[in-house]
Amino acid sequence: MTLDVIPIHVVPRHTGAALPGEPGLSGNAPPLLRELAEQVRHLLETGEPSAIDLSALPLTPADLDWLREKLGSGEIAVTLQAGGESTLDETACAGVWWVTHRNEQGAVASQFIEVAFVPELVKAHPADVAIGRERLEFMVSDL
Amino acid sequence: MQGPLIESLARQGVSRRTFLKYCATLASMMALPPAAGLAMAEAMAAARRPSVIWLPFQECTGCTESITRSHSPTLEGMIFDMISLDYQETLMAAAGHQAEEALHAAMKANHGKYLLIVDGSIPLGQDGAYSCIGGRSNLEILKEAAQGAAAIIAVGTCAAYGGIPKARPNPTGAVSVSDIVKDKPIVNIPGCPPVPVVMTGVLAHYLTFGSLPDLDDKGRPRAFFGETIHDRCYRRPFYDQGKFAKTFDDKGARRGWCLFELGCKGPVTHNACATAKWNGGTSWPVESGHGCLGCSEPDFWDAGDFYKALSVPAHPPTSVVAASVVGATAGAAAGFANRAKKNAARKARQPITVADLEK
Amino acid sequence: MNELQFLTWVRGPGLDIAVGIFLLGTVWRLFEIYTLGRRKDLAAPRRAAGASGLHTVFRRSLPPHGMLKRAPVSYIGGYIFHIGLAVIVFLGAPHIMLIANLTGLSWPGLPAQFIGLATVMTMAAMLAMLVDRINKPAKRFLSTFEDWFVWAVTFLPVLTGWLAVQHLLLPYTTMLALHILSVEILLIALPFTKLFHVFTLFGSRWHNGSANARKGVPV
Repeated sequence: MTLDVIPIHVVPRHTGAALPGEPGLSGNAPPLLRELAEQVRHLLETGEPSAIDLSALPLTPADLDWLREKLGSGEIAVTLQAGGESTLDETACAGVWWVTHRNEQGAVASQFIEVAFVPELVKAHPADVAIGRERLEFMVSDL
Repeated sequence: MQGPLIESLARQGVSRRTFLKYCATLASMMALPPAAGLAMAEAMAAARRPSVIWLPFQECTGCTESITRSHSPTLEGMIFDMISLDYQETLMAAAGHQAEEALHAAMKANHGKYLLIVDGSIPLGQDGAYSCIGGRSNLEILKEAAQGAAAIIAVGTCAAYGGIPKARPNPTGAVSVSDIVKDKPIVNIPGCPPVPVVMTGVLAHYLTFGSLPDLDDKGRPRAFFGETIHDRCYRRPFYDQGKFAKTFDDKGARRGWCLFELGCKGPVTHNACATAKWNGGTSWPVESGHGCLGCSEPDFWDAGDFYKALSVPAHPPTSVVAASVVGATAGAAAGFANRAKKNAARKARQPITVADLEK
Repeated sequence: MNELQFLTWVRGPGLDIAVGIFLLGTVWRLFEIYTLGRRKDLAAPRRAAGASGLHTVFRRSLPPHGMLKRAPVSYIGGYIFHIGLAVIVFLGAPHIMLIANLTGLSWPGLPAQFIGLATVMTMAAMLAMLVDRINKPAKRFLSTFEDWFVWAVTFLPVLTGWLAVQHLLLPYTTMLALHILSVEILLIALPFTKLFHVFTLFGSRWHNGSANARKGVPV
């Protein structure tokens, strides 16, 4: 069951991104954009990925909406079905990914902004690829 | 990322990505940097299953409920796949003598190596007669089981600090595990009940690093108890802005303002609720509109009114009337004494006349 | 005793003791002072007593001619820290809550940032006055143990309150408990030291003002 099933909804004043200083916004979100800019610079210079753990920061739901709205959406949206759904969406800033892990009940378990060329979780592990190859070979031998 | 665990999980249909995702979430809960998730996954995948013995004492089974009913059965269950839970009264199929045999067999086979989990406090009153299992007192069982344990994990506020049984007037003489066992490493995971992921996180740490996590001065893992509820609370910005709910149904409460004035103990309570949340991440006490009770702190039950702000007196000062009366009496007495002194001085005065001076 | 038990103690039994001693001492001293009485002045008044009492209450808060230049630290520092203390105690949100809890009276407070600023200014003024007291030979000579003690018990509540709010030095629980404890020490010391001027200041100014007017020196 998700929260949405419960018939109580917080109705936003108006649609679209709210501005800092409006109800529900703590003002903690804007500094994260600076942090992201620094992390993207680091990625370009060294190739090392990094991430911001959003559940570890004092952000209100309105802050998260503001941040999401600011970052926009990019060309790739990955959906992962592994112990609940996970979404790894590229934002309008290439290399910045909005990662949401949900559990099997659909509630958000953890949320990150990852800065990487491709998030680690998307890549297939060699051991899994090897299993895939075995399967293919099995299919080929069956032809 | 390879090893016995990942293979056993794969057999159960748990994919590598599911495990990675679980470790990322766990690392986030443990306030480890995001990159630690991968390292944890690699170490845990290769870990061996340690034997675990779980002893229930003076408890309400709420702690067991919390952990077994935790949000994602398969994910939290994974941790239980990583350990060999050899004795858990509530969960095991065996009963009576069979159960006792299983306990002794596990203690003997893994002497010095098993993890001992305890929930519930230990009553010392009436020679421990308040809580017995198989005719033996909790005290006796704990002392025996602790001897062969590699480490002890005290789950729940009762095992960690005595909890509600120890609340005044403590009729059973309840004490915590650490009051009895002094020579073994003890990890306290307080909470009434404790957050499930904290418990699995400690086990994950043990499996990953082969050691117990860093503890604070009250024996709690710093990763989960390092910060207060208040510091990690999503309502914290409202506290800083001075926006408080004054009642449970006013404008401030509806807007989700800070619950400090309604008695929230968040500023003095160390726990992971604000980040780990409850019921599968659905919500947690403050999010549902009620202040924190401080259940993960020692003696929280006796720490004053649940609904009074921390900055106001626990109760109206009782000494007001008595002190005023005594003060007034003392003042009046001093006044009479001073008047008597003045009168005496006036009487004793000997006027000097010009004649005296000319003498 | 852990820090939560310490906090519970200062919010409960500790406060009872402190408020008890404070009230006992205050009521005692006020009773004693006002039952002391004054000898009747038999001389005819030189000038009918007007509002000299009231005037003196205010005028003594202003520096006499030239004194502001001679003792700037005492006057300016004194103003800042007295006004600062009043702002913190009567306009800080947690303090208003305490007053509301005890008396039922409540009024709007100032934002936490403003109270923080007032606190820093108050502490700076008090420190400047302490340094001045140490540096000026005459002031140092006139200072007794009571002066140093009273400075400390006034300064500590401000310092610990500020440290607690800013999450500095010690965990919040311990700092909050120390803050309340320091206020309790201040409460206990108040009736028996020169801090009692909180109650006697305006009364004695009034008396002096009207007595002087009667003797022909009206203000």
